[in-house]
Amino acid sequence: MIGTRFFFARSRWMHWLLLPAMLLWLSPLAWMLVTSFKTRAEIFDPAAGVLPQVLQWGNYPAALAVAPFGTYLINSLMVTGGILIAQLTTITLAAYAFARLRFPGRDLLFGLFLLQVMFPIYATFLTNFITVRELGLLNSLWALMVPFIASGYGTFMLRQAFRQVPQDLADAARLDGCGHWATLWHVYLPLVKPTLIAFGMISVVTHWNDYMWPLLVTNSESVRTLPIGLGLLAKADSGADWPRLMAATMVVIAPLMLLFLIFQRRFVDSFMHAGLK
Amino acid sequence: MTTLTLADALETVPAVRKRARRREVITAVVMLAPSLLFLAAFTYWPIIRSLIYGFYDVQLGSSAIFFVGWENYQRLWHDALFWQSLRNTVVYMVITVPTSIGLALLLAVALDRKLCGTGLYRSVFFYPVMVPSVAAGMVWVFLYAPGYGPINGLMEMLGLPKLEWLYDRQWALPAIIFMSIWKYAGYFMLILLAALQLVPRDLYEAARLDGVSGWRQLIHITVPLISPTLYFVVIIGVLHSYQIFDYVFVMTQGGPADATNVLTFYIYQNAFQFQDIGTASAIANILLLVVIGLIAIVALTLGRRVHYMGR
Repeated sequence: MIGTRFFFARSRWMHWLLLPAMLLWLSPLAWMLVTSFKTRAEIFDPAAGVLPQVLQWGNYPAALAVAPFGTYLINSLMVTGGILIAQLTTITLAAYAFARLRFPGRDLLFGLFLLQVMFPIYATFLTNFITVRELGLLNSLWALMVPFIASGYGTFMLRQAFRQVPQDLADAARLDGCGHWATLWHVYLPLVKPTLIAFGMISVVTHWNDYMWPLLVTNSESVRTLPIGLGLLAKADSGADWPRLMAATMVVIAPLMLLFLIFQRRFVDSFMHAGLK
Repeated sequence: MTTLTLADALETVPAVRKRARRREVITAVVMLAPSLLFLAAFTYWPIIRSLIYGFYDVQLGSSAIFFVGWENYQRLWHDALFWQSLRNTVVYMVITVPTSIGLALLLAVALDRKLCGTGLYRSVFFYPVMVPSVAAGMVWVFLYAPGYGPINGLMEMLGLPKLEWLYDRQWALPAIIFMSIWKYAGYFMLILLAALQLVPRDLYEAARLDGVSGWRQLIHITVPLISPTLYFVVIIGVLHSYQIFDYVFVMTQGGPADATNVLTFYIYQNAFQFQDIGTASAIANILLLVVIGLIAIVALTLGRRVHYMGR
């Protein structure tokens, strides 16, 4: 695989296409960062340069002071973590049943699980809102988690992984007297760790960033998550204080961006193979 | 499967088989129960309930409901705003999905080779996927700002006319579409890259020796060989376009003059601003039909032409 990998013999000219595209892709982030260090006057002054005259570090504490971002952060951590733990439990059990057990109606049920992929919360938020209200869960952290506890997509991913575990290994465990539960725990789970990590990353990114559903079911500071807090700040500001707003945005996107920088390979691999295995 | 395992061998004893079978079914029920409970409550029941409510007059916050037959749907039929948001939804999907996937394919092909900085490029195109939709929407509101936004600044520098973007009826939806391409192309690119890595290299080598040009290699070798993944990505793309609600909510609230109102946002307006759950449910049911319809079209056109390697 040296040299002529792909459709043109020499590919250095590719940079001429890719570099401008990369700059275009980076520019929103760069603009956000630069703006978060400006003064308000600099935003509206056409004569001011692209870079701030003096770095206004004070925008960050100012942004953090206008809303209880500490509470938002804790709520985001609890909701994302709670969903992840619950999902890993439900999909492990269901995927094992679909991959290794025989029972009547298996294919039909699996189809029903996949149905959830087609009807995400954006399609069912209205009647789900009514259900959650009837359950008395509105404005609680539970409301933010319950619709996502079962995952058709996760079950699908994990079933594929379980199916690739050699049957011999399971049989050997059976001979040693392991039942289904013990086999699942001691044989299957350790072998599908990469898939669990991949699904976990996708789940965390998705639910850390969730906006519509938390917007509908929360109405007090004590249960709001970071994206909701950011949205409220934007609404209150309505374009008046962009530097402060961009500082708040940087704070909100920072945790995932840092994780991404540190575990780049892991993230890329997880998303890359999410649909294939 | 022709290999005989120990479990299969044991199962030839009738009594053992019967007991093992029953235990297996019980285990399956226990293992599926947690998922099924939550799927029933938060996926199946909402869909069924929405189908029912479409035929009723239901007000938000009141428990009384009245059967009205097809009235909700008839009202929508004569509702210009409904048609407008239906059109916007379809336009958004039909432009965003193919454009971002086409771009993703080009990026993936460009990056699927030994090239210095591949990892950096990949990460840069991918990072928008991890930005929360609300943050992305806000930043782009700023970028698109008519007076002081950098996009208009750039337009001015290039000698192009300045536009009102999100405040212009003609440009608001394209502006959101452009932002969505920035947001999602990197995700599709990654999935396609994974597929490209499985394409045997000697095929390209042979094509090159036969003097087949780069573009024709792309169309005749690459695309057919990764068609299952392309198909998967198109479906994922259609499903991702539900998320336009977040952008509309953050960036335009459906405006200007409903130029960016889409079905999900119109459901929200009917339910939470006009308290009319019946009509909102009817719209939700139509949205389900639209998505099912689009996926069926994709399955019937693309799905048929998918080429599975080694089959």
